[in-house]
Amino acid sequence: MRETTMMSDTDKYKVTKKDRRRAAVRYNFMACNLFNYESQMGPAVAWSMAPVLRKIYKNDDEYKAALNNHFNYYNSTTVMSSMILGATLAMEERDGIKAKDAVQSLKTSLMGPLAGVGDTLVWVLWPTIMGSISGYMALQGNPLGAIVWFIANIIFWFVKLKLFDVGYTSGTRLITSLGNKLTIFTEAASIMGLSVVGGLIATVVKISAPVKFQFGKVALNLQTGVFDKIMPALLPALLTLLIFKLLGNKKWTPTRVILLVIAISLVGTFLGIFKA
Amino acid sequence: MSGIQLLQDILIIILAGYMTIDQNGLVVMSWFPVIVGTIAGIIMGDLTTALTIAGTFQLMMLGVAALGGASAPNYGLATIIGVFIATRTGTGIKSAIAVGLPVGLLAIQLEVVARIIANFLAHKMQSDNNKNAWKKMNVEAWLGPILFSLQTALPAALIVFFGPEVVTFILKVVPKWVTDGLTVAGGMLPVVGIGMLLHYMPVKKFLPYIIVGFVLAAYLKVGVLGIALIGFAAAYWYFFSESKKATDAEASPVSGEVPDDEGDDYDE
Repeated sequence: MRETTMMSDTDKYKVTKKDRRRAAVRYNFMACNLFNYESQMGPAVAWSMAPVLRKIYKNDDEYKAALNNHFNYYNSTTVMSSMILGATLAMEERDGIKAKDAVQSLKTSLMGPLAGVGDTLVWVLWPTIMGSISGYMALQGNPLGAIVWFIANIIFWFVKLKLFDVGYTSGTRLITSLGNKLTIFTEAASIMGLSVVGGLIATVVKISAPVKFQFGKVALNLQTGVFDKIMPALLPALLTLLIFKLLGNKKWTPTRVILLVIAISLVGTFLGIFKA
Repeated sequence: MSGIQLLQDILIIILAGYMTIDQNGLVVMSWFPVIVGTIAGIIMGDLTTALTIAGTFQLMMLGVAALGGASAPNYGLATIIGVFIATRTGTGIKSAIAVGLPVGLLAIQLEVVARIIANFLAHKMQSDNNKNAWKKMNVEAWLGPILFSLQTALPAALIVFFGPEVVTFILKVVPKWVTDGLTVAGGMLPVVGIGMLLHYMPVKKFLPYIIVGFVLAAYLKVGVLGIALIGFAAAYWYFFSESKKATDAEASPVSGEVPDDEGDDYDE
């Protein structure tokens, strides 16, 4: 492109580190706090980017258009959004309002795939691993797991701010090349997560049927005499399988399944099959 | 009511309200039961009871990821309410589950309402943008966190101001098999979280690792940390061998050169 077609360098605002930090902090605070069914995280994105965009767009109409662009539907994991918004900021800094359509298509094309990976890591695997370890410790009266998790989350928040800079400096090139490795990373994390889940089924799901049957002189305890002889944690394994199958059915929402479990527990306790 | 109790009441409501703001944004304590439960325990001055309740709800919550508004109880609020009720009335974990769970379910319904109201707020902000009223737009955004905090602060306030006595009364009237049954349910409910979790994860591809974890725990009595470490070892191996495969496949059609240190930039 010729120099004449571009804005002269003196007109262009150079985004500072402070500007980026401010946008990242605003985004990583507001995120879902303006969440609505229509544009989801859109208003939070517009609000987060507003101060730095004002510096880029001196012209009111351009500023307005740029903000409206960010008010559009948007939804992704905040970690990933930090990178995406860092990258779109770099684009807007360079090309101004001409970048509008490119910004929109970058956001819409990346938010889905990156959210798939990000949500799995941030909202499924991380809470599962930390939650099972710290939950287990808490049951034994030890708050250490909770404290470690809390501190790790604080560190993680600063990582998110850093990722905004990563997105800004490396932009789209990095995000797309990372894509490949992120999938492998998610799969690897899933392996660790699933091993933990396997252990959880045996330890965390508590169901036993210590009901006694009397056959003449012989008493048989259903739990110790039958189930435990087949394999340890047999009932938890079977219950997990049943619930997993039920949840695969669209009619069985989590709430319904929860109510079913409560109903089974109540009936079972009433009949004396389960004991508290 | 003593001064300390009033202070505790207020702190519990603030904690409940802030929890949602945090969950929506900072995600430092989020709605994770062990973290909010520990804080609630410190407020109530009984960490031991709080940890038992928090641990129970934490294990129930596994797999509840709040993706796209999954309709599961708000276990974070259930924990805060449970800790408050259990320590204030001295009735322990049974009342925590009996009161906490329904309140947690209520909060999820309120979330839907909050998100509908947020729709109007979003439109107001955008119309202010179109009127060049940017200062107003910037300030209005703060109504979002306030609105969302109400979804947990309101139920908490209801329980705190009208709850404890009502709850003790209900627990006295309710027959024993119901409270016992709820405790049994408390032991079983983690299965729902685990079931949901399995639907998010590549179960078919990595089924052997579930079996490994199960056998380690059920037969060999290895603790969860030990299983996590073994899982990490397998994950580590998988990551580097697969990354190498991916980079090899990428590099080979272009040229024969395979960069050796490609796999190492994961720690940076």
